[in-house]
Amino acid sequence: MHAYVDIGVHAFPEGADTPKRLNLAAYSLGFSQILVTAHSTYWSQFPDSSLPSGVEIVAATVRDLRKKIAFFRDISTIVSVHGGDERINRAACKDDRVDVLMHPERGKYSGINQVTAKLAEKNDVALGLSLDYFWKSEELQRSRLLAFQRRNVSLCKKFAVQLIITSDAYSHLDLRAPRQLKALAGLLLLNDSEADIALSKAPLSIMKRGRQKKEENL
Amino acid sequence: MKPLSPTLRDDYRYIAFRLNFEDPIRARDLQTEIARTAKSLFGDVGVSKLNVRVVAFDGTKGLVRCNIRYVPELQVVLASIGKIKSNRLCVTTIGTSGTIKAAIEKYLQIEEKTRRNISSYVTVPVSGKAVRICGEEIDIVPEDRKTVDRADVQFIGITIDDNERLI
Repeated sequence: MHAYVDIGVHAFPEGADTPKRLNLAAYSLGFSQILVTAHSTYWSQFPDSSLPSGVEIVAATVRDLRKKIAFFRDISTIVSVHGGDERINRAACKDDRVDVLMHPERGKYSGINQVTAKLAEKNDVALGLSLDYFWKSEELQRSRLLAFQRRNVSLCKKFAVQLIITSDAYSHLDLRAPRQLKALAGLLLLNDSEADIALSKAPLSIMKRGRQKKEENL
Repeated sequence: MKPLSPTLRDDYRYIAFRLNFEDPIRARDLQTEIARTAKSLFGDVGVSKLNVRVVAFDGTKGLVRCNIRYVPELQVVLASIGKIKSNRLCVTTIGTSGTIKAAIEKYLQIEEKTRRNISSYVTVPVSGKAVRICGEEIDIVPEDRKTVDRADVQFIGITIDDNERLI
């Protein structure tokens, strides 16, 4: 039995559900735990007593990204980067303080090439596959993102980059059961065991590594 | 017309599912949405191979039938449904079975928690009106709609642990 984990869930006040409500929903779906992540733009809205465990850094420039990584590495278990822009994707993969590069395909192109993939492998940066576009996007957008993600997955497989699967949920209605995420991962050319790793072993190891990086930085 | 003998008929699998929704859904709307999503993902040829049909639906749980070879494809279709007529929902598969009888016995005889409407003003964790309670889950219509608009939902979801005064 795998311990499934989702490390890309957005809770209130960024998302619509409190962490407890999301936990309740995730547990009933078959997840053993979830990790609440907030975009850096909403970080200040969280009360100090309940700061999220992970951050997804949104940066406009590479300089801004480095600054934010340095700030959030001390306070967050998982530091992920909101991908999309090619320069940001590359800078995130270059930095060994980053744990995950989330959805690099949300820009004009697929966002990853062989150089970026090699850098990600070298610096232990995992690639986050957000599958929320399956139920949030319409036909054309969905097929475009699916094609980009397929390309990224094949590159990651070739260069041994770690993959994680998340639902990128903003409410309990965005959460999907692990078996459903595995079925969706099948469309990305991931077989059952690879999807299992991306949903359980990989996020758990990233959480462990993230804690170590945080302590080292402190 | 003489019916096909059992050995010549298509083999089916029955997938039991549970629906998590904001407003109640009709079986007909669900059937239409499944067909629309299947067509969007796999095209006309794919839909004809899937041969999908909602066999039973009671408002929260149901059974959907598909060709035995295309169960993963139907899982993908059900996971990809996020909205019916601007009503957000999530279809969760409970299990798969070879017969309707076994599927009902195994997966559909679990008692669901009943939803009841309430009307209570709350300020924690957000100002608004608590309108629904289902087990430990409470739905709030917030005064400030920014968060719900961002998440594309109607309610802020909390639990009784978040606001114990509502018990």
